[in-house]
Amino acid sequence: MDEARVHISGFRMDFGATTVIRDLSFDVQAGETFGFLGSNGSGKTTTIRALLGIYEPTAGILHINGRGFRPEHGDRLGYLPEERGLYKKEKVIDIMTYFGRLKGMDRRAARQWSLAYLDRVALADKASSLLDKLSSGQQQKVQLGVTIMNNPELLILDEPTKGFDPVNRRLLMDIIAGQKRAGATVVMVTHQMEEVERLCDRVILLKDGTAEAYGTIDEVQNKYGGRIIRIKYSGTIPPSPHYAVLLQETNYAELTITDATDEAAILKDLIDDGVTVRSFTTTKVSLEDIFLRVYGDQNEPDVGPPEAGRRTPDGRLSGDNRISRDGA
Amino acid sequence: MARHNLGTVIGFEFVRTVTKRRFWIGTLAVPVIMAIVFGLIFLSNTTTDTAAEAQKSAQFRISYTDASGLVTAGDAALFRARPAGSPDAGIRAVQSGTVDAYFDFPAHPESTAVRVYGTDRGIFENGKYGAVAQAMLARAVEQKIASPQLSTLAAGKAQIDTVTFEGSRESGGLGTVVPPLIFLVIFYGLIVLLAGQMLNSTLEEKENRVTEMILTTLKPTTLIAGKVIALFAIGLLQMIVFTSPIVIGALFFPGELSLSALDLPPLIFDPVRMTVGFLILVGGFALFTTTLVAIGAVMPTAKEAGNFMGVMMALIFVPFYAVALMVSDPHAVIVQIFTYFPFSAPVTALLRNGFGSLNLLEAGIVIAILFGGAAVMLRLAVRLFQYGSISYTSKVSIRTALRGGSRRPGSGAAPTTPAG
Ligand SMILES: Nc1ncnc2c1ncn2[C@@H]1O[C@H](COP(=O)(O)OP(=O)(O)OP(=O)(O)O)[C@@H](O)[C@H]1O
Ligand SMILES: [Mg+2]
Repeated sequence: MDEARVHISGFRMDFGATTVIRDLSFDVQAGETFGFLGSNGSGKTTTIRALLGIYEPTAGILHINGRGFRPEHGDRLGYLPEERGLYKKEKVIDIMTYFGRLKGMDRRAARQWSLAYLDRVALADKASSLLDKLSSGQQQKVQLGVTIMNNPELLILDEPTKGFDPVNRRLLMDIIAGQKRAGATVVMVTHQMEEVERLCDRVILLKDGTAEAYGTIDEVQNKYGGRIIRIKYSGTIPPSPHYAVLLQETNYAELTITDATDEAAILKDLIDDGVTVRSFTTTKVSLEDIFLRVYGDQNEPDVGPPEAGRRTPDGRLSGDNRISRDGA
Repeated sequence: MARHNLGTVIGFEFVRTVTKRRFWIGTLAVPVIMAIVFGLIFLSNTTTDTAAEAQKSAQFRISYTDASGLVTAGDAALFRARPAGSPDAGIRAVQSGTVDAYFDFPAHPESTAVRVYGTDRGIFENGKYGAVAQAMLARAVEQKIASPQLSTLAAGKAQIDTVTFEGSRESGGLGTVVPPLIFLVIFYGLIVLLAGQMLNSTLEEKENRVTEMILTTLKPTTLIAGKVIALFAIGLLQMIVFTSPIVIGALFFPGELSLSALDLPPLIFDPVRMTVGFLILVGGFALFTTTLVAIGAVMPTAKEAGNFMGVMMALIFVPFYAVALMVSDPHAVIVQIFTYFPFSAPVTALLRNGFGSLNLLEAGIVIAILFGGAAVMLRLAVRLFQYGSISYTSKVSIRTALRGGSRRPGSGAAPTTPAG
């Protein structure tokens, strides 16, 4: 537990009468890249703010490097807040130099580093422009630069790709990967599941104020059945205790295995039940699938009891095929 | 690291203010206006001073009647004035343009006004007519007295030198009052000039969402303290710019500005009163700044913050209502209240310090109140800023801020622990 960069246990956060985080615990180890996932409003930003001392937690321990975060401790932190913003009426280079100095660099080093960074992100000609003369994506690049100044050992990025075009998203991912190679621990909030699969070592899924799933991507995938069966068929797929139907169209369906049965047995069952199977492939369940499965029923206007298994408009099942929520 | 950051914040805040064009337009406007006003005064002084001489070279034609019998033909000739047949004839001559002015000296000029009629030459020039009439009469009286010494004394121009004593020690009079009151002027200048900036100093962080970035990079106390010190430096810079025309004038054109005309006694700088004045100034400035910053931290927008400006401004002017009492009876209850109520204390104490009615014990208490109040306000401002920043758009309740403030205890690395 000692080398955990981030340690959160028993965290609870109430805003007035509303409980946003009920009971949350997780660790982020030094050097890993950690995906912090959850639907809108699930409390990701709140957790990060509480970790950084911006919010006062209702209860719980939130530590960075073994103690509550304070800027004056000198932990090298790079934080990209969800609410972006820098001094709008100042020159880009002045803002970057200022923050560089606040982060402990000397003026010359901060300036040189900033100019090199601006060059790298194709903003070299904007160094002397006022920040508000830049486009919103360009401002984001400046903000990312400020975030990674002075080689942070812990990077906390709240939706870093928000507002970037695909080219710049790639650039940003490269920059984050570079920080990671340089030894930084990265905690990132994102709604882009491919990014998580590509970059993250471990993830946590936040739901209803606690951890819905927590572990390596493999572990999380396995928890949600691990594999998805995609079949092209004709006939009717019968209900079964061994699998759940994730998606059902006229001649195509996606199933997920809900017990210890193996795929071959399911194929045999289907054929025995008179289904004509034209193709049968299995793939690992994607994080996107898991995300949809975990949060997919949240936006329904229907207020029926969540345990009542029911088919969503696009054919997904909810309730009965949900993995019991045992947290982390 | 903290000290280094404080310097960085002060530098950044100072430089970014004084490198803005808006700042210099506002700052330079004052001395420019002052220069224009001085210029006008200087010009009009020149015109009045030379009025008599100008007349001697007969630039305008004068007629007069004299019922008092004081003005002799010789006096009139000196001014090239000719007697008019009657007042009516004199006025008609002015109206028809045969003369430029007609003076009607009454039988008793010591109690009845001398009537002066003239052709309109514009506001500045018109003043000459009266000046010349005055000069003519004065010359006539001087001739009657026939003694320059007596006429000087009769004009009330005797020189008076007053020496007062505090016990057996000679006291300085006005000369000792003026120097410590300079701190009062500086205080007003700083507050009036900077109050808006103080109020809005954390607004930019809030409006532009910089707060989260800042709060995770440096101690909020460092930020706020840095801003307060930078404001003080900016205010001093402005004071220097504002007074520069006077200083330049005094250095390079001492005669023209005729500062000696103010008849200031030699200034006496009493080290104790000057030190007390300086400490009250700094303490008062710190208290007002931190208070305004705290108010600004609660308010989501400049407009809402502006409503509080009036109150603060009223507080620094209110003590003037009691200024007479401060001199005559410094122990009156109202003076005591103004002296010790933190927000009226700076002005009241600076006035009393100037008048010499603030003793050392009282001064010490006031200074302690001001610095203590500033420290409390700084803490409050910091907390309000921390909590105000989170809810970017709504007001922070002071209760929430104070309660939440216990989260960051003053001592070391206290971990965040469960409440239960
Ligand atoms: N200062 C606050 N006062 C009251 N409620 C708040 C405050 N901050 C956040 N909340 C509430 O807490 C919940 C979680 O918000 P949070 O911003 O942490 O969500 P999130 O997971 O970051 O969502 P998103 O993906 O949309 O960014 C929301 O319901 C929000 O309304
Ligand atoms: Mg968020």
